[in-house]
Amino acid sequence: MLNEQEPVISVKNLTQRYGKGRIIYSDLSFDVPKGRILGLLGKNGTGKTTTINILMGYLRPQSGECRIFGESITELRPETRARIALLIEGHVQYAFMTIEQIEKFYSKFYPRWNRDAYYELMRKLKVSPNQRISTMSCGQRSQVALGLILAQNADLLVLDDFSLGLDPGYRRLFIDYLREFAKAEDKTVFMTSHIIQDLERLIDDCIILDYGKILTQMPVDKLLADFGRYTFHTDSNAVLPEDQKIINPGKIGNEVELYSFDGDDYVKRYLETNNIPNSDLQRTPISLEDAFIGLTGKY
Amino acid sequence: MYSSIIFKEWLKTRRVFFIALAVALLVAVYVILSTNSLIKEHGIISLWMSMLLKDVSLVDTVTYIPLAIGLALGIAQMVPEVTQKRLKLTLHLPFPQSRLVVMMLATGMIELLVIYMIQMGVILIYDATIFHAELVGRVFLTMLPWYLAGFIGYLFVTSVCLEGTWYMRILLSLVGLAVLLVMFLQPNTMAAYNYMIVTVIIFICLITIFSFGSIARFKEGHQD
Repeated sequence: MLNEQEPVISVKNLTQRYGKGRIIYSDLSFDVPKGRILGLLGKNGTGKTTTINILMGYLRPQSGECRIFGESITELRPETRARIALLIEGHVQYAFMTIEQIEKFYSKFYPRWNRDAYYELMRKLKVSPNQRISTMSCGQRSQVALGLILAQNADLLVLDDFSLGLDPGYRRLFIDYLREFAKAEDKTVFMTSHIIQDLERLIDDCIILDYGKILTQMPVDKLLADFGRYTFHTDSNAVLPEDQKIINPGKIGNEVELYSFDGDDYVKRYLETNNIPNSDLQRTPISLEDAFIGLTGKY
Repeated sequence: MYSSIIFKEWLKTRRVFFIALAVALLVAVYVILSTNSLIKEHGIISLWMSMLLKDVSLVDTVTYIPLAIGLALGIAQMVPEVTQKRLKLTLHLPFPQSRLVVMMLATGMIELLVIYMIQMGVILIYDATIFHAELVGRVFLTMLPWYLAGFIGYLFVTSVCLEGTWYMRILLSLVGLAVLLVMFLQPNTMAAYNYMIVTVIIFICLITIFSFGSIARFKEGHQD
């Protein structure tokens, strides 16, 4: 049984490659504490879906250890799997079933099945219980998948790129329902998405992955408070010198943009020390998407 | 949970099941009508003699039907499972995974068994009204390898569908093809496979392992 203080997901020194080739990441370690909504963010090919595949037991990592509810993911008991709701990329479900059949099918597997939660969402979709999932739009399918997750009433929700293929209305609907459910029921959520702006409304913590490593892992509030975007005007053509604490500096024309965790004083000192003429230096408020681009770069 | 798994498999296969059953019955009716026609043309004694002395089985039309049904049912059952990697959903169900695979295969094989028994039953019951029991037995033993080949085809096609890599899909297909070629070396010789019926049944039990192997490789991440 999991101790209250123990993380729901624990990943230690995970290393994975594409076949025998390029390393996706090495020595990746992170925890997902109980009751938190954590977003795993990264550009395409950084290993977000790979991580979910490993956690769900669909891919054996080259090395490292993953535990969910204290159990090794290679030996998850059916009772433990019943506590994990999984959303596969693209809201994949049994498309050959109807709205009614899929509810009937899953309800037998989950002891805490909440039929009303599923049908409440289906009523909003205004679809017939006899409608086959394969005939639905991507947005409608996402609501079916969400309804099934809510009905399962699992302790941990693992969602792989829930926003894929959804228009803004369905994305917003998905997020609002999910956040209300997770917070009201003290659920733990581990999710990925390629649309970062959606996650700002949803996640408590984020892990930002770059090719091969974690760039940062912290609460979103703290990231947005500590991570600054600085812009200034310069007439100099000099290349901005490298500095470990100045992140992804970029220059378009005479306008410069750079990011740092180290505050206004550090950035001013950096510009003075390197004799970079500047005017109109300012720190502008950032969104999660800005922070993501600031950390990972535009390319 | 068991009923839910059977329900899912039935939803995938029911259309093919009914089409296959209809085809199987039509073929059985065709065999009966052909036999009737031969009796009218040549007389029953001549037909008996042909069966005893010339190895005429009268059921040649059935030869590849069970195999075609086995392949169609396997495809209907497993393609929806692997499309968009839905197998992940199935493997995530809170149910012992090996038992889950057994349930899936057992459902498909029971559906096949029902179709095969109905077709075989119709033909043999008719034959029993016109032939001596010994001849009916020979017709049964002539058809039995074809139905066993249907199960073999089903098991190979399910393992090929569940397989995640093209290399293994091709390898399994080639092995399956080789086994089926052996099963049809003497398709029209009456009771030609009598000496190896038990071996084939044991072999069918063994090749269920291929589907487990495909699932195990899928879980290790061997996917193109």
